[in-house]
Amino acid sequence: MSLPAIQLLDVTKHFGPRAAVSGLSLEIPEGACYGLIGPNGAGKTTTFSLLCGFLRPTAGEVRVLGRDVRDASALKGRVGVLPQDAQLPAGWKLGALLTYWARLSGVDAPERAAREALDKVALSEAWAQPANALSHGMTKRAALAQALLGSPPIVLLDEPTAGLDPKVAALVRQLVEEMRGKRTVLISSHNLEELERLCDGAAILDHGKLAQAGPMGELTGSAVEFRVEIARGEVPLSQLRTLPGVKEALMEASGHLLIRHDPREPAAEDVIAEVVRLLLAEGVRFRGISRGQRLEARVLQIT
Amino acid sequence: MNFAQEALIISRAELGRAVRSGRVVVLLGMYALFSLLALLGVGGFISFVRGQLQQQTGSDAAAAEALNAQLSDSLMGIAIGDAAAASGGMSALPVVVLIVFRITLFFLPVYVALMGFDQLAGEMAPRSIRYLVVRARRESILSGKFLVQAGLLIGLVLVVDLCITIYALIVEPDFPLGAAVPGLVKLWLAASIFSLAYVALTALCSAVTRSPAVSLALNFLLLLMFWLADAIGSGRAALAKVAGEEAPATAMLRYLSPSHYSTGLLDPDLSNFMVAVGAYAAFASLFMALALLALRVRDV
Repeated sequence: MSLPAIQLLDVTKHFGPRAAVSGLSLEIPEGACYGLIGPNGAGKTTTFSLLCGFLRPTAGEVRVLGRDVRDASALKGRVGVLPQDAQLPAGWKLGALLTYWARLSGVDAPERAAREALDKVALSEAWAQPANALSHGMTKRAALAQALLGSPPIVLLDEPTAGLDPKVAALVRQLVEEMRGKRTVLISSHNLEELERLCDGAAILDHGKLAQAGPMGELTGSAVEFRVEIARGEVPLSQLRTLPGVKEALMEASGHLLIRHDPREPAAEDVIAEVVRLLLAEGVRFRGISRGQRLEARVLQIT
Repeated sequence: MNFAQEALIISRAELGRAVRSGRVVVLLGMYALFSLLALLGVGGFISFVRGQLQQQTGSDAAAAEALNAQLSDSLMGIAIGDAAAASGGMSALPVVVLIVFRITLFFLPVYVALMGFDQLAGEMAPRSIRYLVVRARRESILSGKFLVQAGLLIGLVLVVDLCITIYALIVEPDFPLGAAVPGLVKLWLAASIFSLAYVALTALCSAVTRSPAVSLALNFLLLLMFWLADAIGSGRAALAKVAGEEAPATAMLRYLSPSHYSTGLLDPDLSNFMVAVGAYAAFASLFMALALLALRVRDV
């Protein structure tokens, strides 16, 4: 079994007497695209900063590709980081700055790597511009470019699309999509819809502790439940409960029919087909079907 | 990539940025201007006193020369200490050079602080240091920045000492070029060794703080404390010596201040010179070790 790309082992971080993160243990498998979710003050940014080596844990251990991040060069060339609130330093032209960072990361042909990274975020024209005089969106893209320098195996992104216009946000999402399966990507974000679309799994934090973590399908319940938005007609709940694989059928206050089913046999699409057939046969009309729960609803439920 | 390679990449990049920023050039200009003013002031004062002595002794050349020599010895004692002056080891350098050198040395720590107070603290507040810590060891970042400050300082003191020496060559007819070159090397070496301890102190202040303003304030506070320790300790020791008593424990305070050892850097006695060099090396190592420790354990 391969080593997890990222491991947090019983990590605690105190700021003075306040524990921002408490006894957090989490493993993120290699090649996964993983979300870090939680309300404000849940410990997301602290956890992200611990992973990047910006913050030192008060207790516990943070390991990246098997190495303790406190080791002097544990992250070098292995991790690309997009910090949320770090400004680009003054006194640099963007191209020269990225070339310098690429050189420091040990990337071969640093200038070429810098140009390629800027190309990826559609910022080639800013090569000769002062790094600290870019607009917010351009700064974000430049910061993303530095995270991608040299194609590190792990990429950590803190709020990668926050404050970006829809076109640039779509570009960022496309970049993340392209990395899926090839690199381990961790995204800390409040944009749950985006995380649901991009990530294979997620960890939900609340009050500095891990509330729940796992594959996205498990978190949203998409493998075990679906909802039918009823328009009109009498729903035959007792008949639905007798269908193969159906474990539970009930009407929610919102007017949705909730079906919980066995995740193994029969396949979810077969259960859906049987339910739809019965409903239509009984004269029930519906507006749509959705699998599982929205991630947002799940997070609101947990936190 | 090892630690030295990382430090070298950082120092080269930061040196370029420092030169481009213009602040270093402005500070260099200010310090050179200050040195020039000191040079003109001290040079003018010595010329004036010599002129007065000339008037008083009239045509008695022997008396004038004796008074002149006495004046030079007194000023030399102020500049490099009585013991060193008595040994005559630095007599090859004109007294105006030594006095101005001592004045510039006194203010050099302030210049060092102004030049480097934000080397790390300036990257902590906007968190731009986060882009570095994922790429380089924290000790490489500290060392790279230290190398830049040290390099700039060594360059600066060379320029200032060169200017002082050229001035002396112009206004002092008895100061030959043959004596000027080794004299310049001695002054440069002394100022460089002296500077490194203060560059390390500035790095320490910058490494333990998050805001440049706090870093500068802490640096000035420590400089003041060191100056007070030297002044109080030396004063107590001098008073005890005059009274023929044993120096009190407070006299030992002077050994805790880097500035106390500056006279030794100009001492022609090799052992005294080496003690001073050792003291500055120890201070520089201590400050750098503390800076490194602070940077390694702190959040950025």
